[in-house]
Amino acid sequence: MSNNKEIVRLGAPWEKTGNTSWTQCPACEEWFHVGPGLLDRPEVHMHCPACHKEFPQTDAKRLVTSG
Amino acid sequence: MFRPDKPLSIVHDITALQYALEKAERRPIVVVQEPRRADGSISDIPVVTNLTGSRTVVARALGINDHQTAAPIYAQRTGNCIAPEKISGESAPVQEIVLEGDNIDLTKLPALTQHVTDPGPYLTAAHATTYDPDTKTDNTAIQRCWIKSPTRMSYFPYPASHNARNLRKFWERGEDCPVVFWIGHHPAVLMGTQAKLTYPESHWGACGGLIGEPLRVTPSRTFGDSIMVPADAEIVIEGYAPKDVLEADGPFGEYTGYSGPQVAAPVVDVTCITMRKNALYHDYGSGLTDMLVPDNMAMEGKVFGLCKQVAPSVVNVHVPAQGRRFHGYIQVENPGPGEVRDALMAALSYRRLKLAIAVNQDIDIFDDSEMFFAMATRVQWSRDSFTVDGLSGSLLDPSTPVGSKTLSKMAIDASMPLPGRAGAPPPIPPRSKVPDEAMQRAAEILSGLDPNDWPTL
Ligand SMILES: [Zn+2]
Repeated sequence: MSNNKEIVRLGAPWEKTGNTSWTQCPACEEWFHVGPGLLDRPEVHMHCPACHKEFPQTDAKRLVTSG
Repeated sequence: MFRPDKPLSIVHDITALQYALEKAERRPIVVVQEPRRADGSISDIPVVTNLTGSRTVVARALGINDHQTAAPIYAQRTGNCIAPEKISGESAPVQEIVLEGDNIDLTKLPALTQHVTDPGPYLTAAHATTYDPDTKTDNTAIQRCWIKSPTRMSYFPYPASHNARNLRKFWERGEDCPVVFWIGHHPAVLMGTQAKLTYPESHWGACGGLIGEPLRVTPSRTFGDSIMVPADAEIVIEGYAPKDVLEADGPFGEYTGYSGPQVAAPVVDVTCITMRKNALYHDYGSGLTDMLVPDNMAMEGKVFGLCKQVAPSVVNVHVPAQGRRFHGYIQVENPGPGEVRDALMAALSYRRLKLAIAVNQDIDIFDDSEMFFAMATRVQWSRDSFTVDGLSGSLLDPSTPVGSKTLSKMAIDASMPLPGRAGAPPPIPPRSKVPDEAMQRAAEILSGLDPNDWPTL
């Protein structure tokens, strides 16, 4: 299991927070945003929109999610 | 109509032209006769875009002279469905050319790559028609499609959509889901597919209601009568969504004006492409008024119908493109006690709206400066606004909190207080005004002058 996943903890209900998760391509290091439906399905490979490398979540260089 | 006189790249350049036109507040239909592919070759299928960027053009396509009067007419016509007329494939223009087997090649279509974050070419005006396997009733909705190979594309039916429901039903039966995508038709037909219907309910009747005659449909080559396609469409792509196959799709520039995230989406393996001789390829500028206007005008009809049921004083509705699909302006005439809030509650119950503002007839709901005037001068915020949490909404709204499945919505009553007695003026000061004749004289002084040197701000 890769330890590439970083979870940004939410603050108090009155603090403004974002909702977007980002991943970094292991090949070209491009950051792109991914939805919760994709993160919930580790069997579906991510697809880098810049270099078109396909890779499992565990191979992402970094994965930063809000939760 | 604007026809650029030289080739334009389908990678970003056609969309850039649309952005430039929008910035200049000009909304011609754009026809690119020579779309240039990424490899430098010229597609022999011209691209039509910005077809629906103008409310005036869309209203005219519906036979309506003034776009500001479209909401009640749309509500009335889509409620008077006209059943479609079936014609044979031999007489259907969309099946003049049939490409099967090795002749199938999605990459020959001049599909645009619109935005920086899009991973490749997308069909943006593909209407996906599927059917409910229980009732056999068809459903149609626009679905983006990422062309991944000559015979495969991913597409993204929003999880709560009727097409996604049909897909799940087929997959739960252990079957691949039949699906047909059709591109290009008369704008009034495109508007009919935007009608907000129940499940399951075919869109063909609403299309007929809008065009005032039966929509001509023909059996698809792959699925026969199970999925009919509009006989007068430009291009049709038929195929199956293989059971349980999901691939990454996106990011993709959405109607919100933001790039939507990469999602897990079904794919379609194409069995057949049909098209007219001399077919045109229709593209919607995603997130531009081209895509917002037809859907927003359909929303106006729907919200008008909802409000009218509880508040007969509602006379018009505007869903402005600058609010994406989230803001609705409600106009009332002589409302009774409580009626304005009744109308606002009805408007907020419509899934996509998250702000509803009510004003009187003296406010032009198609002019945001008038709307701000009403809010600035007729609202005490704690008295005249209210929020409601936990209503359904579009989760593509970039401001939704993590994990939320519902939205927080707001209504503003910017209408005038009711008169103290029937027939008396409303109990607020009259608006400042100069006589109409003086305004006429001012217009005469200004006519014929060139104001281009004068500051605008
Ligand atoms: Zn990459």
